[in-house]
Amino acid sequence: MSLGFQKQLNILDYGLASLWRRKTKNICVIIVFSLVIFLLSSFQFLTGALTSVAEKTLRFAPEITVQRMVAGRQEQIPLAYVAKLQNIFGIRGVEPRIWGYHFSTVTGANITVLGLTSFDKRLEKSLLVGRLPRFGQAGEVVLGQGVVRDLNLQNRRKFALFRPDLSQKTFTVVAEFKPESELLTADIMLMSMADGRDFFNMSSDFATDLVVQVANPAEIENIARKIGQILADTRVVTRPQIQKTYSLVFGWRSGFGSVCLLTSLAAFIILAWDKASGMTPEEKREIGILKLLGWQTSDVLAVRFYEGFAVSVLALVLGCTLGYVHIAFFEGVLFRPLMFGWSVLTPNLQLSPEIHLTDVLLVTCFSVLPYLVATVIPAWRAASVPPDSAMR
Amino acid sequence: MFALRPASVFALVLFGLLLLDMSLVGHTLLQRNSQREQEMYILTETLGISDLCLATEARYTRHLTLSDGIAPFMDHPVALEHFPSGSFYGRVE
Repeated sequence: MSLGFQKQLNILDYGLASLWRRKTKNICVIIVFSLVIFLLSSFQFLTGALTSVAEKTLRFAPEITVQRMVAGRQEQIPLAYVAKLQNIFGIRGVEPRIWGYHFSTVTGANITVLGLTSFDKRLEKSLLVGRLPRFGQAGEVVLGQGVVRDLNLQNRRKFALFRPDLSQKTFTVVAEFKPESELLTADIMLMSMADGRDFFNMSSDFATDLVVQVANPAEIENIARKIGQILADTRVVTRPQIQKTYSLVFGWRSGFGSVCLLTSLAAFIILAWDKASGMTPEEKREIGILKLLGWQTSDVLAVRFYEGFAVSVLALVLGCTLGYVHIAFFEGVLFRPLMFGWSVLTPNLQLSPEIHLTDVLLVTCFSVLPYLVATVIPAWRAASVPPDSAMR
Repeated sequence: MFALRPASVFALVLFGLLLLDMSLVGHTLLQRNSQREQEMYILTETLGISDLCLATEARYTRHLTLSDGIAPFMDHPVALEHFPSGSFYGRVE
């Protein structure tokens, strides 16, 4: 072992022993420091995991969705618009949909009702038990797990909900979506388009929106532009727009994200200010003694650097571990009240956060670096005065 | 009696924590189910899903991409946006 390395190892030993002598204070610093990092890393892991799920899943979102806008709000779209789109080259198909929300006055839940003109056979793989609704049979539905919990059906297969005119419509549950898909289907009640129309008392000439399938994904933007020109009173939402929204919507720019970031920053600034405002007389005396014994200023700085490094690295690893456990095993339970707000139907998240180097670097920049600077600068000021005046 | 030097104790503690981290990440990766992911893709494609089901309290938090943008006074001239989950999401562009 080289002499220089042995020297640094001895200095590290001295620094760690010095930390241990003031263990109560340092353990308190590590705990507070870890909690701040826990907040930062939890938010980073949660938003990272949600962005990742959205990125992977929404690659299969509708290529183009056409909505009719009246007075800046979405309104029902006439089915006559379908014929106007048929002549655009590159469109593979246009499917009208009926969807909307049913507010349960009993539980306060908002159920998303979705009515389609056809069901793809592949959907059967996503069902827990049962089958897809049959188009000849009125009132057959597939429920998401959140709706099942909200309706508290237990073994019953039939239930009734109120239409807008307060008449009742009876439904039969023919299947449930698997719990693994709750992040997409927790609040969905899937039925045929005829049932959806009947439930919302909608005219047979209208739908909620139109889903346009495009033959060549590279042509999505061109076709969307043409649709916008032909149907001037519509809003055309494309798949890339949906993907872009979800790549930006979770992050530090949200209100809660800013609160997390500012809280952590404020905590670090207070900590750094407390450290930088000066060392205790005991610490100054210790530096004076070390210098009298022949230690160089650089050695004193190395001790303080190693002390700060040990505290901040330990707090970083502890904080990140707690943050990971919080998101991966406790579904971000501390963030749920804010993330879901007053929602009654909430999904089980089952997220698997991915650890990116950028996340770790971001947390490190906000935690370890300020702490190191705040530790070393006052030590350098104290170490640069003569030993006899430092001891006085 | 053999005693470890402080640097070795610190290295051991750090190593133990990193080992714990690796086993946690490994456990989560093993839990990841490719069949589940495949089913999610099919659901998105066949149902035409455009949004994740997170906050169901308001239409503009349930369907971020298909509903009107989040703005104060959007529902009524004197109604501020007041749903708590609205503060969790960034601006929809």
